[in-house]
Amino acid sequence: MADEAVKQFTTLLDNSILGRLERMRIAPRRKMTNRAHGEHLSGKGGTSIEFSDFRDYVAGDDLRFVDWNIFSRLNRPYVKQFRYEEQMCVVIIIDASTSMKFDGKFERACQLAGAFALMGLFSLEPVSIYACGPSGSEPAICPRCTGRVSRGRVFQFLEGLQAGGDSAIESAVEAVLRRHRGRGVAIVLSDFLTFGSLGRPFNLLFSAGLEVCALQILSPAEIDPELTGDLRFVDSETEQTLDVSNVGELISVYHDRRRELERELDEHCRRRRGRFLTTRSDDPIEWLLFDRLRRQGWVR
Amino acid sequence: MNWLGFFSLGSAWLALLLVPLVLVYFLKLRRARQQISSLALWYQVVNDQRVNAPFQKFKRNLLLLLQILVLACLVLAAMQPFLPRASVRAQYQPVLIDCSASMGALDAPGGERRLDVAKKQVLTLIDNLLPDQRVALIAFHSTARRLTDFTDNKTILKDALAKLDVVPVPSQTVDALRMTQALAHTVPIERVLMVTDGNVPADADFELPFDLVYEQIPAGGPNMGITVFNARRSGLDQWEVFVGVDGSGSASQASGKLELFRDGASVGSEPVLLVPGRTKRVVFRLESANAASLEARLTPDGFDSLDSDNTAYLQLPKSRPLSVFIPSTLTSFRRAFHVQKGIELADEGAGSAGASFDVVVSDRPEDVKLDSGVALYVGFVPKDLAKLVTVGKGSIDVVDWERSSPLLAHVTLSEVTGVEQPRSAEGVHDGDFEKQGYAILASGRTGPLLLERRVGVRLEYYLLFHVDQSTLPFRVGFPILAANVLEIGRMQAGLAEVRGSRTGVLPPLQLKPRMMYRVVGPQGSVVDMAANESGVLNGVSALSIGQYRVSEGGTEAARVGVSLLDSMETSLVAVKQLRFKENQEVAATSDRIDADRPLWPTFALAGLGVLLVEWWYFQRRPGGWPET
Repeated sequence: MADEAVKQFTTLLDNSILGRLERMRIAPRRKMTNRAHGEHLSGKGGTSIEFSDFRDYVAGDDLRFVDWNIFSRLNRPYVKQFRYEEQMCVVIIIDASTSMKFDGKFERACQLAGAFALMGLFSLEPVSIYACGPSGSEPAICPRCTGRVSRGRVFQFLEGLQAGGDSAIESAVEAVLRRHRGRGVAIVLSDFLTFGSLGRPFNLLFSAGLEVCALQILSPAEIDPELTGDLRFVDSETEQTLDVSNVGELISVYHDRRRELERELDEHCRRRRGRFLTTRSDDPIEWLLFDRLRRQGWVR
Repeated sequence: MNWLGFFSLGSAWLALLLVPLVLVYFLKLRRARQQISSLALWYQVVNDQRVNAPFQKFKRNLLLLLQILVLACLVLAAMQPFLPRASVRAQYQPVLIDCSASMGALDAPGGERRLDVAKKQVLTLIDNLLPDQRVALIAFHSTARRLTDFTDNKTILKDALAKLDVVPVPSQTVDALRMTQALAHTVPIERVLMVTDGNVPADADFELPFDLVYEQIPAGGPNMGITVFNARRSGLDQWEVFVGVDGSGSASQASGKLELFRDGASVGSEPVLLVPGRTKRVVFRLESANAASLEARLTPDGFDSLDSDNTAYLQLPKSRPLSVFIPSTLTSFRRAFHVQKGIELADEGAGSAGASFDVVVSDRPEDVKLDSGVALYVGFVPKDLAKLVTVGKGSIDVVDWERSSPLLAHVTLSEVTGVEQPRSAEGVHDGDFEKQGYAILASGRTGPLLLERRVGVRLEYYLLFHVDQSTLPFRVGFPILAANVLEIGRMQAGLAEVRGSRTGVLPPLQLKPRMMYRVVGPQGSVVDMAANESGVLNGVSALSIGQYRVSEGGTEAARVGVSLLDSMETSLVAVKQLRFKENQEVAATSDRIDADRPLWPTFALAGLGVLLVEWWYFQRRPGGWPET
């Protein structure tokens, strides 16, 4: 057993999962890429080996791209167009506040961060990871890295993360954008249980050329709370209390509010052509990565 | 009109307990601490609830709401609310309950007795008693009996009511009303409830000092019963037994079978078909030289609501000649009796002291000591009247006589003359004789001529002038007078006619003087009682139908059967209006007894129910209290 444990590349994900992840890629909805050459096909024209379309020849076009076979049949010059493969930054933002410490939410966030990072590294994309904890302090940063050689560094960073603090996700996004440059996709892993508005951080991400992929991680107790009676709720981050009587009667209202939050997050993401998904922290990681995310179009 | 009254309105101050209840609830409310990831959603939930509805505040504090409800119920119960229904709320409420024979009538086969219906109504009244109300139960039939004193103890009242049973006797209301009047001297009584089937005398010799509510319960079903049971001697050993059968209005066309038993053996049977408005009379003829117990049993063909009037009892005496003593000096009466049949004229020597006869006719003052059922003394004044009347010389002038007296029936005294003239003393009036226990049957110009006195069951007549000194023996009325004496003697000896005795009190029995007797009733009741100096045993209660055995030292001395024999009770007729003195009238009402209905048990039960709900609500959390 000890030998097998040693053979595991990381404590976050099993080696078999890592093997499958190496063959998967992030599938962004938009082509928000950088000019630097990469593996992601750009929407713009350019030079690559992948044919895109034909168009009429106009004066000034490079004669190397004229399709002479068509010219010989139709006696009209047409120019072949090719797609351009550019780099896409993968920015992973982990909510490392105290609220994520409940029921393995933070561990699930680290697993997902590792999975997305692995996909990005094997796509030769620049991957950077930010973990936001206490408010006012600098987020923990895994600097931009690329290629499979960086996977050890990434997982080492993730394994060393500790949750704690009262940083709100909106301030965490601002802190990240102060340090990040480059277009691509921003994967936000959080429970999104915040008092503030989520429209502003998503706007900031969108403005920075990042496609917002919000993944809400909730614990089973947050999705189906089994509470009754008169309780005094204590906020894990702020230690604030809230007296609630007859909690059992309010569960249905709680569900309504939770579903409303999900709809609001989904709406924010859709408006910015992003994605949103809610997952339980106790869902099997294989099912989440290889089934649900794939069916939802997050990965391919 | 007040739709709700409160007996103890001062208890409303208890509602102030609401203040400490709410304070204690919120101060002592121990909330379990529950750490959660974020309050963000719960703040929204609470805000949602706050703006939804004010009632949600109570919903969130359901335990507090339930406690307030419990307190409200208890405070209301303590205020003792009631629904006012009675027009007058009497503090002291006597209830007169009829338990006479007719109250035993059923309304249908297997149905309820009238008394049970009455009990239910009274139970309703008892259950709805308010704290300041007291009820006294008085049962009445031929007389009245107080079951309870004025009390609000429902257990005592219900126990007394449960023990009340039908007594097979006719009903009389006056005793019960007089008893209530006596109670009114101790407590203020404004209204009296009388619960009856209406089978009571319509007229009562009573002046109502209070309001009477004549609560009439529905009458029983069809009924037929025996109302007359007599026997008359038709020969030396021959008897004619008369049985009268009557019925209620709804049983006017009823039929049945009447059977006569002598000493338990059937001696005759007759079908009976009632004709509306008439009493069916059935005559049985039988020979009986010895004493016999007769029992008449009526078996109706259909449903009969009252059983107690279907049986009647009669005691036939042993047949014997009438023993008569007449001294030889009284030749006129000896000649007159000599021709009469069925008598045994005693010899002169038999008239010694201590001898017993059925009839004594004598002109000797010393024969007053002779024991007899009937005595006719002629020619002397009784000792106790010696100062009131004297007999002197003079003519007899008969002024008037009592024609309705059995002794003077069909006897004319108008032309009787004589040489002895009874004279009243100076200043003596007829009332003076009555004070001495004498009744004047015939009066002369100067004083009474014929006196009657009853001593126990013994009947004495005093003819103050001597018949042999008058023209009476030569008048047509003399043999009639002699025959009347013998008829009275036979009646006194029970040799001529016997009538069925009614329930209530046993008829006087002629037994040995000052002897102790034991009377055993049909239900096994035992009464020990001594005969008086005259040997008369009377005043024995007979409230059960059947035969009463009178024994002396284990030896049966007499046997008397009693039965209802009351056409009023058998008819089950309900009187619609009771009439009292001073033209006071009370109409019957069939409405249920109006009584204020107390609501405190309802509120107390509601409080208990809410308390149970609160307990259930408090305990229903599946995992108990979450740990802090």
